[in-house]
Amino acid sequence: MRLLAVTVSIGAALLVMTAAPSYAAGGDAIFKKSCTGCHYTDGPAKEKTIADQLAKKGPELWYAGSKFQKDWLAAWLQNPKPIRPLKYNSLTDKNPGDHPKLSAGDAAAVTDFLMGLKSPEVKAGVIKPNESAQARNIFGKKAPCGGCHEYPVKGEVHGGKSGPSLVGASKRLNPDWVYAYLTNIKAFKPVRGMPDFASVLNKKDLASVAAYVAAFE
Amino acid sequence: MLRFLIVTATVLGLALSAVGSAQAADSKQVYDFYCAQCHGTDGKGRGINVTKDFATDPRNLTSSSEMEKRSDEDLRGVIKDGGPSISKSALMPPWGATLTTDEVEGLVKYIRKLCDCKGK
Ligand code: HEC
Ligand code: HEC
Ligand code: HEC
Repeated sequence: MRLLAVTVSIGAALLVMTAAPSYAAGGDAIFKKSCTGCHYTDGPAKEKTIADQLAKKGPELWYAGSKFQKDWLAAWLQNPKPIRPLKYNSLTDKNPGDHPKLSAGDAAAVTDFLMGLKSPEVKAGVIKPNESAQARNIFGKKAPCGGCHEYPVKGEVHGGKSGPSLVGASKRLNPDWVYAYLTNIKAFKPVRGMPDFASVLNKKDLASVAAYVAAFE
Repeated sequence: MLRFLIVTATVLGLALSAVGSAQAADSKQVYDFYCAQCHGTDGKGRGINVTKDFATDPRNLTSSSEMEKRSDEDLRGVIKDGGPSISKSALMPPWGATLTTDEVEGLVKYIRKLCDCKGK
């Protein structure tokens, strides 16, 4: 009997502890109901093989709070415009642009929930958006970034199609996440069509190209 | 006992041959996932990334006249270290930190199938 009481109180304490991060009412519940079919939010990364990656119906969101800018996220969930030129996990079909839409209220609640999902790999305050000639040379010449990603040149869209578009990255992505991703890509996406550049470009080059991407209009 | 052994051996044999063919299938999967975006699923060098902005055409990997000039070691090198390692375009990325040695080996064999040619 005593054992039971102890177990129950430990259980209750654990419950309280795991429930600790406080989301705006219902953001996590809305997410569970409408979004978990295509997105997972419990890290670390689960993908081990190409088949694991190809089985996913949408990008992983377990570090969404480190990756996205809050204002962009709340607006995008209400009016989701294609990010990847191609359909997710496809190299042939166009992005159908049919992502589920949320009302303003639900989008705000889900944004609070997602912005609470942080990764310890991302150090804050490291990268300031900055367009340097040196970084332009890395992005377009020394490394093949522009071969796989769309990027803006004076309001026009240039570049390849297989990666997510980097047009508008200055509003969408957290500059510090871009750097963390480039320096430690496997922590976020163990299996992806993008090469690991951490041993190819030095830290200074990676920081300047992260700052460059983070400045894309 | 003998019977048991035979059954076990047969099962093992089957399992082993399954592994063999799984590897061949894997190389196609590896190629389609990492390389087809530029070289195309058919290897002809017209993948989805090859737009008007793409400064250097990806090598047509089915061209036996081009590909027989390269040794298998050349292919391993350019796959791992990228175009600049052989004074070619940086649009050919370095995959050494992304692919395992076995995956690179599988790709070399797969490219030899695409060009239907041997290395020099
Ligand atoms: C049918 C599958 C599906 C469902 C259901 C779904 N999503 Fe998505 N989601 C996707 C796909 C595919 C993308 C990539 C879209 C693009 O690139 O344009 C995406 C992208 C996103 C992104 C941007 C991620 C990134 O890395 O670019 C966020 C945030 C997101 N979804 C949130 C949600 C939320 C919140 C819900 C529930 C209301 C939801 N999704 C429901 C498939 C889905
Ligand atoms: C061979 C094609 C390829 C090359 C080359 C490439 N990328 Fe990528 N990149 C991708 C793909 C594919 C993804 C998406 C991976 C995923 O989500 O599974 C990606 C993702 C990204 C992201 C995250 C975008 C998002 O919204 O999730 C950034 C930032 C990025 N790449 C920057 C770069 C930079 C900078 C370079 C050059 C140093 C580069 N990429 C080179 C294919 C490429
Ligand atoms: C971002 C686009 C891109 C991706 C992805 C890519 N390649 Fe390439 N590849 C190129 C380009 C461009 C060239 C031609 C370089 C030149 O001729 O200057 C090339 C050339 C080659 C060559 C010929 C090099 C030579 O000796 O002439 C081989 C072999 C090759 N790629 C294999 C691969 C393999 C295997 C993969 C996948 C692991 C791959 N490539 C992925 C763009 C790409």
